[in-house]
Amino acid sequence: MECRLRDMTYAAPVVVDIAYSRDRKKIIRRDIPLCRIPVMLKSAKCCLSGATNAQMEIMNECPLDPGGYFIINGTEKVILIQEQLSKNRVIVEADDKGGVSASVTSSTHERKSKTYVILKKDRIALNHNVLVEPIPIVIVLKALGGLSDYEIMELVAGGDARYQDDFLINFDEATKAGVYTQQQALEYIGVRVKMGGPKKGRPGTAPRRSPVEEGLDALANIIIAHVTIEDLDFYPKAIYIAMMVRRVLMAAHNPKLVDDRDFVGNKRLELAGQLLSLLFEDLFKMFVASLKGNMEYFFKKPNRTSAYDPVGPISTQGQSITQGLNRAIQSGNWNVKRFNMNRAGVTHVLSRLSYIAVVGMMTRISSQFEKTRKVSGPRALQPSQWGMLCPSDTPEGEACGLVKNLALMTHITTNAEEQPVRNWIFGLIEGVQPIRMFTGTEMHKPGTYIIHLNGTPFALTRHPKQFAARFKTMRRRGHISPFVSIHINEHFSAIHIATDEGRICRPYIIVKDGKSKLKPEHLRLLQLGKATFEDFLKRGVIEYLDVNEENDALIAISEDDINQSTTHLEIEPFTILGAVAGLIPFPHHNQSPRNTYQCAMGKQAIGAIAYNQFNRIDTLLYTLVYPQRPMVITKTIQLIHYDKLPAGQNATVVVMSYSGYDIEDALVLNKASCDRGFGRCQVFRKYAAELLQYPNGRKDRLGGIQKDEEGRTIAKHACLDKDGLAIVGYRVHSGETMIMKETPIDQTSTGIGSDRGSDDFRPAPVNYRTPDPAYIDKVMVSNTEKDTAIIKVQTRQTRRPELGDKFSSRHGQKGVVGIIVDQEDMPFSDSGVVPDIIMNPHGFPSRMTVGKLFECLTGKAAVVAGRRDYGFGDAFRSHPVEEMGRVLVEHGFSWEGKDYFTSGITGDPHEAYLFNGPIYYQRLKHMVQDKMHSRSSGPRAILTRQPTEGRSRDGGLRLGEMERDCLIAYGASQLLLERLMYSSDATRVDICEWCGLLGYKGYCQTCKSTSQVTQMTMPYAAKLLVQELISMNVGVRIELEDQFPHPA
Amino acid sequence: MDYDPMVMDDEALGPMVKISQADSVRVKYELSNVDLAFANSLRRVMLAEIPTIAIDLVEIEENSSVLADEFIAHRLGLIPLNSEGVKDMLTSRECDCDGRCENCSVTLTLHAKCTGEENMHVFARDLVPTGERINQVIGTPVLSDAEGLGPLILKLRPGQEIKLECIAKKGIAKEHAKWAPSAAIGFEYDPHNKLHHLDLWYEQDPKAEWPPSEYAEWEEPPQEGEPFDYDAVPNRFYFNVESAGSLPPDAIVIEGIQVIQQKLASLIKELSAGEGGDGMNGDYNGPRSPEYATGADGFGGYTTPFGNGGNQSSWGGAGGTTPYGTTPYGAGHSGWS
Repeated sequence: MECRLRDMTYAAPVVVDIAYSRDRKKIIRRDIPLCRIPVMLKSAKCCLSGATNAQMEIMNECPLDPGGYFIINGTEKVILIQEQLSKNRVIVEADDKGGVSASVTSSTHERKSKTYVILKKDRIALNHNVLVEPIPIVIVLKALGGLSDYEIMELVAGGDARYQDDFLINFDEATKAGVYTQQQALEYIGVRVKMGGPKKGRPGTAPRRSPVEEGLDALANIIIAHVTIEDLDFYPKAIYIAMMVRRVLMAAHNPKLVDDRDFVGNKRLELAGQLLSLLFEDLFKMFVASLKGNMEYFFKKPNRTSAYDPVGPISTQGQSITQGLNRAIQSGNWNVKRFNMNRAGVTHVLSRLSYIAVVGMMTRISSQFEKTRKVSGPRALQPSQWGMLCPSDTPEGEACGLVKNLALMTHITTNAEEQPVRNWIFGLIEGVQPIRMFTGTEMHKPGTYIIHLNGTPFALTRHPKQFAARFKTMRRRGHISPFVSIHINEHFSAIHIATDEGRICRPYIIVKDGKSKLKPEHLRLLQLGKATFEDFLKRGVIEYLDVNEENDALIAISEDDINQSTTHLEIEPFTILGAVAGLIPFPHHNQSPRNTYQCAMGKQAIGAIAYNQFNRIDTLLYTLVYPQRPMVITKTIQLIHYDKLPAGQNATVVVMSYSGYDIEDALVLNKASCDRGFGRCQVFRKYAAELLQYPNGRKDRLGGIQKDEEGRTIAKHACLDKDGLAIVGYRVHSGETMIMKETPIDQTSTGIGSDRGSDDFRPAPVNYRTPDPAYIDKVMVSNTEKDTAIIKVQTRQTRRPELGDKFSSRHGQKGVVGIIVDQEDMPFSDSGVVPDIIMNPHGFPSRMTVGKLFECLTGKAAVVAGRRDYGFGDAFRSHPVEEMGRVLVEHGFSWEGKDYFTSGITGDPHEAYLFNGPIYYQRLKHMVQDKMHSRSSGPRAILTRQPTEGRSRDGGLRLGEMERDCLIAYGASQLLLERLMYSSDATRVDICEWCGLLGYKGYCQTCKSTSQVTQMTMPYAAKLLVQELISMNVGVRIELEDQFPHPA
Repeated sequence: MDYDPMVMDDEALGPMVKISQADSVRVKYELSNVDLAFANSLRRVMLAEIPTIAIDLVEIEENSSVLADEFIAHRLGLIPLNSEGVKDMLTSRECDCDGRCENCSVTLTLHAKCTGEENMHVFARDLVPTGERINQVIGTPVLSDAEGLGPLILKLRPGQEIKLECIAKKGIAKEHAKWAPSAAIGFEYDPHNKLHHLDLWYEQDPKAEWPPSEYAEWEEPPQEGEPFDYDAVPNRFYFNVESAGSLPPDAIVIEGIQVIQQKLASLIKELSAGEGGDGMNGDYNGPRSPEYATGADGFGGYTTPFGNGGNQSSWGGAGGTTPYGTTPYGAGHSGWS
């Protein structure tokens, strides 16, 4: 909280222990501060982690705050989850021309690179960024050494004649190139390796390596770098490349075998930790390099005055790490040179509009695809994202489908150790052998399955099912990390084991022999608090499945669906939705885009933001005066505590047409409801000023109140106190000063000797700008990290709903207030119920938001029965509408939720019975008061002398090109002339008819004459264009002629 | 009204009230022998035009609570205040004092400070009327709950303090709902839908699907096969007036009738004085909203800005005349003849 208020960075120091020798003595110094790393809130290193509610309260923090963001210079920043294609996995794709290619992005600590195996015109070649041209595959395989042509053929094609036939042609390529031996192959490759890297441009540093060495190096360290080479044993790499070739051949034969890029199992999510570690690594390496430079520079000095002390340089150089991290998080530009990473927009400012906006932001995933491309593939809803990513929560428009949100129970894996898994692979069943020991014939024999560990062929087995079953058993027993996944791919006779980070997974209840492992006693224990979710995980009741493993599972949605072949049971169906979509009651009864609209709007709803909302000073903060818990809630709402920080009110809604001011989704509001506080909200705004210190020692200061001649305070300073700051509780009007800051006129002089500037100060006040008055809510004076004083003033406005303010229900049904009607004119039911809102029934047929009707009915039943437990509208539960109808009848209402209503104006009953009940309405942040704007005459831009643009500058309303076209087509030339010139930037100019250039004051400078100069009116912008062209040596001459020539 | 065949000769012809239930918060009664428009006007007046008093101005001296000043002010305004004898008060617009006096306002003060360890609740009970009042009860907050605390105004943490002075004024609910004397008013007639003013929608059986109104037993259910009477007019209305506390329910009804009488009286006065040249803007003495007062000034009925009224165009002249003289278009002498 303090960081937020004082514009500081929430960071923790990093200390290092250093050891060095000086005077032949080893010196060890501990806890040298190196840098400060920003700390994610509520992370393990944060002081908020594990804090109880009471502790949070003492720290002025909201106990419901989800954490997961950073505070950099007082702004809350979120590092969004980044979605990428998985690393170190082979992806086979077909291109438009019928070619097939397999690609793999190798990522090691050293570098990231992409290798392709391409099938083009029946020939297969390998390509990589370091290679000048694609290299025939046989040459590559030969270069990998020790393989005869027969072995290559076996490795690639196995015993299958079809693949053998297809591959045969590739040997000709090698022969054509004259490559027969490994030596020749390496030479062939070495010549084609791009010279580059650090050795470039420095002749004489390292002796040029021979092409063979170059080729060997490229193959060993650059191409498919994640398959490490030990003792120059290239066989694993050869197997890997051969596998890629085989996949290409298979895909060429059967186009169904290409991979799907959009399959969620082929995606990896990159979290803040990974991104930060990359950045830190890069910055640390830079730090080490510059420290080394510093040392070398020091020791190069011929006579040193003192012994070298590394502590100082470490701390100063370490600053660059701190700054680098801060800058990256602040700006969102992630630049890591080693990985060719150059991303913008990784971080975003945490949207604090409503609690739900914060929660939504924490689960947001942004994709790496360009937004401009019009491809539908990556944007489409993928079947495999079931349960992992929310199907509803995505923005509309250009980022549609590219920005996604996590579903409720989704877990993103972290990296698990590979080594224990390796050991387990061989220990599980008999007959699992390392792949190193086999030739291609054996590998590709039918019935033999290759075990891949993180995409790399690792071992062979003939009993895949048994192996996988044993592996899962071990995992359920807790011997293997629960986040290691295993799945069998029958098409490629492969078992894949994944331990890498960034996979998306989700817990399921294990089902064995047609019975769920989760028994009622487990739930009892959970309720008593004697068992946790983790206990169930350890005891093999629940396990996590990732997207790939899900494909091997048969998951029952409810316990009744379990049959003998079921392997898992869904914990709760509504968890396929995310936190934001979870607000919607009965979402399964709505047309799906409506749920998506609500997901976008729920984030704009005004409501309670956090328990500490009145301690915060945000740039803009909206709060509702009387937020209410929704009458109809969902389990998700309870889980994310939306019922504790709600954003809306339960309005009694009547669905009817009323007054004609309700067309096009407009709402009719009851004036008395507004009087009583419906939709009332508070708007807080921040105005801040920092008192800077200038290099010459002068400082900004706060000035006093200005008085006029009679000693009265001038109107502009009405709300100022003696200290030059606004008084809390005062009402400020537009233009009034809130912080009377003054800056020194002289900011540069040194102040030594005669070089002294003026001692005067220039006022630089912070004024209240908005047209509507507000009250001063808080004034804060504090110090920043740089020890300069910072002053923040918060203003407060309380607004009641007015015509044009935007409201929305939770079903994507937004509308503006069309009219506010007196209570006595509103329709009322026989029991005297008067609605808060009247909604037009035309909103229903085309929108098909049946969920809203259900919400209304369920809410009404809950209200009349006085039972909160009725008000549940969870997704995919069997809907209790019949039950609710029964409850309504019991309490003397119609079962369908309609009631007898009387017109308030005439007293006649409405002919039809009207559907009515409580519906949760959200007030959205778009308010007329913030948008209302008009201008007759006003400020103009300096350059063009045209009216300024935008409400904030009191700008004009543009008559645009299309409007201009209309006027031209209509022939309204005088109107056009008025709009585009007289009302905009008309100027009188002097033009010389002789030379066609501009003159002034009736005199032409070019012709040195006044004889031919005439005046005309033209747009100032046109005059400017002429002059700018002249300044660029483009002559512009204006020829004039009489519009109505005199008869000669 | 002409002779009504529905009315038996021995029945009284004037409006009749039959009270079925009356207590301190609600009164249920049947109003008969009036027409629908009258019944509804009574309902409307009871909702919106009966003067009561409510807190209108708040001067905050000290507020260290978590709630903003205008938030508290809004809450204070909605607290029902005892409005007995409000008739003798003047609205501040009518009163010729400057500022305020005991004839047009009641002053209440609230001063609370949490000195204990626990959070303190400030209730309407803590609002104390001070200064001169026209009678001894007016302006006292209505405390209708069992403990006699009244509505909760705000909560204070240890050390927080609230000190303010409120000025309650007379007003009507047309201006702001806080002046409403009634909470909800039930209004119903024709429980058996004999008049067919309603179109009962049903799936199978309207009787099973529509629960009968509580007033159903007050009237004779329609006989099976009874012919529909086209000329029937509603004349029995069932009211259920619930008081918000500032006025007792019976007073609301009586006041309502009086307000209607006053309004009618001033209307009659206007109409009869109309020949005298007093014009439209006579002295209307009943309570009215401020917009009403300003809006009615200098506006004589409905005219268009073009002044000549009616369907004529501003170009003057009938038919197809334009400023350029007669055109062949339009009525009268057509150029085609």
